[in-house]
Amino acid sequence: MSGETTLQPLRTPDPLRPGAAAHRPHHDRRQTGFRSAGFVVLLVLAVVMVFPLLWMVLTSLRSSNTVFGGPFIPTQFTVSAYREAWHTIHFGSHFLNSLVITSLTVVGTLALATLSGYAFAMLRFPLRNTLYFVLLSTLMMPASALIIPLYLQLKSLNLLDTRQGLVLLYIGSAAPFAMFLMRAFFETLPMELVEAARVDGAGEFRVFWRVMMPLARPGIATVVIFQFLATWNEFLYANTVIQTTGRLPLQPMLFTLVGQYSTNWPALTAALTMSVLPVILVYVRMQRQFVAGMTLGAVKN
Amino acid sequence: MTSTVERTRTATVRRRRLPSRRNRRERYVGYAFVLPTLVFFAAFVGWPLIHSIYLSFTSWTGFGTPTFTGLHNYSRLAGDAVFRKALLITVVFTAVTTVLQTILPMLIAILINAGWRRAGIVFRTILFIPGVVSFVVTGVLWQLIYDPNLGTLNRLLADIGLRSWQHQWLGDPALVVPAIIVVSLWQSLGLYMLIFFAGLQGIDPTLYEAALVDGANAWQRLRNVTVPMLRTVTGVVVALNLINGFKTFDIVYVMTRGGPNHASEVLGTYLYSLAFGSLSGSAPQIGYATAISIVIMALCMAAVIVQFAINRRATADVR
Repeated sequence: MSGETTLQPLRTPDPLRPGAAAHRPHHDRRQTGFRSAGFVVLLVLAVVMVFPLLWMVLTSLRSSNTVFGGPFIPTQFTVSAYREAWHTIHFGSHFLNSLVITSLTVVGTLALATLSGYAFAMLRFPLRNTLYFVLLSTLMMPASALIIPLYLQLKSLNLLDTRQGLVLLYIGSAAPFAMFLMRAFFETLPMELVEAARVDGAGEFRVFWRVMMPLARPGIATVVIFQFLATWNEFLYANTVIQTTGRLPLQPMLFTLVGQYSTNWPALTAALTMSVLPVILVYVRMQRQFVAGMTLGAVKN
Repeated sequence: MTSTVERTRTATVRRRRLPSRRNRRERYVGYAFVLPTLVFFAAFVGWPLIHSIYLSFTSWTGFGTPTFTGLHNYSRLAGDAVFRKALLITVVFTAVTTVLQTILPMLIAILINAGWRRAGIVFRTILFIPGVVSFVVTGVLWQLIYDPNLGTLNRLLADIGLRSWQHQWLGDPALVVPAIIVVSLWQSLGLYMLIFFAGLQGIDPTLYEAALVDGANAWQRLRNVTVPMLRTVTGVVVALNLINGFKTFDIVYVMTRGGPNHASEVLGTYLYSLAFGSLSGSAPQIGYATAISIVIMALCMAAVIVQFAINRRATADVR
């Protein structure tokens, strides 16, 4: 939608590498004072930001009778809350639901987005710009505003309360944005490669699959990571589409715990911790793609 | 297949002047590549969108056929006290979060960018962590923190001798929206900070050198170089904040469901409770709820237009 501005982040330097273009201020004495004051401010801020998550982990490691009262950092740790969350909440099966739903969504979205992104970037066909604009024009559509017709749509397709229905819905709503990302990425690749491969007699699909796809890996990584995060964390659609408890993915499952387990904080926080862990691990491990996906994805979410 | 002459011509020229067999093939392949996306899009975005516009002009409980009632839903909205309250709360929430979540992330990004290579990376990593945590986890976690009897916040206040500051954070109609704004800030700060950071990296360093030659001090460089050069990015952040504010749902739904007594009701939660009947067990009001979703879409559209306008002026000014 907002053409120039949304495209821009792709071309700006990597936010995680204070690289060549970064502004290197010239230091004078007064600035050193500024910098140390700034350091203290940032340190305090970092502590405040981490505190809730730290508190969550610490609470999950307490036993239920020592959870209220006692020092902030418990003297005794126990993993009994994790065992409890795993067994009574059936954490494992909901985790698996989330994993399957997320993987299928990522694969499906990627399949659609690489094909259409490539076509919009590299192939010429009538109505190309019109179709592209139609796909893009709905990017700003908020999820909550579409929930009613989507619910009805799944109902009419007999897919309500099924994980397949949820996956199809996720793919459909994610595809335009993923296409937009992939197209922007393919456009950075030289058109001459396509021409050269054609001249060598490669078919159109072969050009796409053997020549362009290997080069598109960084773009694909961004789409995968962003889509993984978005799907893993999605709540509204999952909570509305799935009704059978056993089929619930993690997020709506955690939500149902609030009432039932509001007195068992260790079990509740243990479940929260286990659901956040994969995301934080992936984030710390693949920061660069994560941030690229998030900053770009922010346009939609 | 390809003559030497053709091979030497550029792609565009050949494409325009000589429609060839290859050209036709490219066309079919183009459609074939785009088709799957279009099918999914039509089924799960396009049609639902059209359907919801139609439904907003009807009265329907989800059973039988919808009755066409024209603009009735929209005129009913004007007289609905809960809707007006939800609209007001949504707008206030959006305004406050937009101001806070633009100014603070910008300052933090500038602060981080002003020094330290390694520490800067660590700070960015840490500040962004809440951004990868889901709304549900965030909501549940902060619900526990805000818990009036056992929550950490009240306990912390008691520990430092501020027992009189203790409150029912989510149960007090006057405090519930500010309490949710704090949570939103906690979660979104890192993301907007990163967007500003990307913008800072894009500023041409020669501008600072020129400012230094002119004898500009740190404050003057910030005021006259950094902030103006960030205008486009600021426009994006403002627009994102506006859109995210207008469509707020998850965090409020998880933490309060719009309560107590609609004190934190936003458009998203009101529409959800009308359609999926979690409020009073009354019949779902599909048509009426859909009209609210159209209002949310209109607000988000307006935000996009605002961003276009800001962006346009910003680019014009810089030039």
